[in-house]
Amino acid sequence: MSSVSEGLAARDGMPGGSPTWTRTTLVFAAFLALLCVSLLVSLCAGRFGVPVTRALALIWQGLTDPSAPLQAMDERIVLLVRMPRVVLAALAGGGLAVCGAALQGVFRNPLVSPDILGISQGAAFGGALAIMLGIWGFPLIAMVFVAGMAALVLVGFLARVSGRTETVTVILSGLVVSSVFAAVVSLLQFVADPETSLPAIVYWLMGSFSSATWARVLIAAPGLILGAALLWSLRFRLNVLALDEAEAKSLGARTERERWLVFALVAVIVGSQVAVSGIIGWIGIVIPHAARLLVGHDHRRMLPASILLGAAFTTIIDTLARTVTAAEIPLGVITALVGAPIFAVLLRNHYRERTGR
Amino acid sequence: MTIGFSETAAHARKVLPFIGLVLCAALAAPPAGAQEVVFTDQANREVRLPKPADRVVSIVIPVASNLIALDGGTKKLVGMNPTAKSAVTQGILGKIFPEAKDIPSDVTSPSFVPNVEALAAVNPELVVQWGDIGEEKVAPLTNAGLTTMLILYGTEELTQGYMTMAGKAIGQNERLKALIDWRDQVRKDLAAKTASIPEDEKPRALYLQRAITDMAASGTKGNYTEWSMELAGARNAAAELVGTVSINKEQVAAWNPDVIFLNAFEAELDPSWVYKDPILSLTNAAKNHKVYKLPLGGYRWDPPSQESPLSWMWMANLLHPEVFHYDLRAEMKKAYNTLYHYDLADADIDGVLWTAQQGDAANYDQFKVRQE
Repeated sequence: MSSVSEGLAARDGMPGGSPTWTRTTLVFAAFLALLCVSLLVSLCAGRFGVPVTRALALIWQGLTDPSAPLQAMDERIVLLVRMPRVVLAALAGGGLAVCGAALQGVFRNPLVSPDILGISQGAAFGGALAIMLGIWGFPLIAMVFVAGMAALVLVGFLARVSGRTETVTVILSGLVVSSVFAAVVSLLQFVADPETSLPAIVYWLMGSFSSATWARVLIAAPGLILGAALLWSLRFRLNVLALDEAEAKSLGARTERERWLVFALVAVIVGSQVAVSGIIGWIGIVIPHAARLLVGHDHRRMLPASILLGAAFTTIIDTLARTVTAAEIPLGVITALVGAPIFAVLLRNHYRERTGR
Repeated sequence: MTIGFSETAAHARKVLPFIGLVLCAALAAPPAGAQEVVFTDQANREVRLPKPADRVVSIVIPVASNLIALDGGTKKLVGMNPTAKSAVTQGILGKIFPEAKDIPSDVTSPSFVPNVEALAAVNPELVVQWGDIGEEKVAPLTNAGLTTMLILYGTEELTQGYMTMAGKAIGQNERLKALIDWRDQVRKDLAAKTASIPEDEKPRALYLQRAITDMAASGTKGNYTEWSMELAGARNAAAELVGTVSINKEQVAAWNPDVIFLNAFEAELDPSWVYKDPILSLTNAAKNHKVYKLPLGGYRWDPPSQESPLSWMWMANLLHPEVFHYDLRAEMKKAYNTLYHYDLADADIDGVLWTAQQGDAANYDQFKVRQE
């Protein structure tokens, strides 16, 4: 684990203690391989029996001749059920992870997750309200996204005091907005029809990719991909923002504007993700940590590492969710059950090495 | 039920002195006599009414329409769950009993949290609540001095149990007996005939209790519709599930059910939802046009209700048209006459059975008006 300790030495993106680029290349090759393998395994696994060779042939057909009509059940299962689901899980996981990575940098706090800005709870409110009103499908997705954005705008208004915002007021405003929306979601659950909308809301709040279709991928993908790409383009800025305020300013950063730019991108990503798959916890906090332990604090490496790891992890988690039992297991349950122990092991190793020095 | 000193004191503090006085007087001197109604409810508590109740509130959903049927009218139902009310007012009961829209539904939240003040305002003699919902949703009722009957949900035995309690409580013993006898008779008739059907000739049926927002199927335990399906001669395609849980479409493809029953809860759901879906439309059920939405009569036909025997007949005729030949339209007319003193029009029946939505489904012609 020497790369980890070296990675730790590379605090705050100072170039001196970084792992060498060749080692980084190897690490990234491993991440990429992990992602590819998990995508393939996921496409071949499922409750409906499709032989692996047939599944691989179908995947090849889907990639080379996407317009071929799909008549047989196994063709539709692999190309219309599994593939959009796997793609959506990977995109959402990568998006959530990169959001967590960026926010942990901006707030200079490893405990931050994408929930902190109140976007998830705002989006949850939009979804719960839509289900209550009997709205589903694309109008539901739109309501969720708009509510998530509205939450960020609210946080912005609350956090801006005499024309400027401190990170601490952002965190507190996020907390306030989160709590208010969480309370309204509880209220909606309280008045929801116990035989129809209530179980739907509860299930939706626990997160799932079970309703993934290509149409949903097309809706969520632009926000997820663009958001992640723009965050990646801010990697140098994030390295500066992760320094303390005075230092960042002395390096010419317009900290406030750049912070809000990051927040807006996070809102686009989280809003897109929640809209199509409900609330998914843990990924935005666990994956950036894992990435940081493996490649160091420099956002130039940490952001792409988070994306790859997040995508792979979420794909694996979702594969478990839909294959282990005949019943769909809510994602939130598995991300916590799998994510928490991994997180604990990483954290212990990290501190053991630090104190071992 | 005895009221202890502390309960009486607490209630005296809470309730207006005048009402308190009246209630205390009533409790202090119950007119013991032939009119007294005593029974043990499904939480094993003794329920004691000085005389058959004329004012009943149902916090639970199913008992509201049970009471209407047991009494043949809405007079004794003075409060109900908002979800029960929407089912009553939106379904055919709203047409039969237009006055039902004025029955208060602010006595409870949909999730069965009672509003004791709103309850006290309608002055009920009996309040029906779930027996497994937790003390905190029952204690406020008993503390306010309200006589409470607790019931449990899920099986035909429990259903007959609470219908019997409710019938006794409002003093409708004869109507009660007729309703229960009808259930027993139809059930025995079905069971006798399905017993002779070999297991491998029973179609594998899937019941989707939710479909649009997320898909949930009913496994083997604790679901009444699933029990009804088996009674009517089906095997449960989702038998490996326990309880009602979320599933995905790939799992449905793997089960490949012969028949799909859709719930009556989701208003926007009808068989076209299955036929338009790329996966579900390839199941045996869809290919053979055996996708049916459960009817919505005096109550939805999936959970237990006063109309359950009609639901069983409907299912049995669909699952085994070669064995069962119930004249469902005639049975419905007879039942609605008994239950609600109402003469069903042919258009009413078509509405209940969703003939417009699923009239072209396999074996559905038998339910259409016969052109003679």
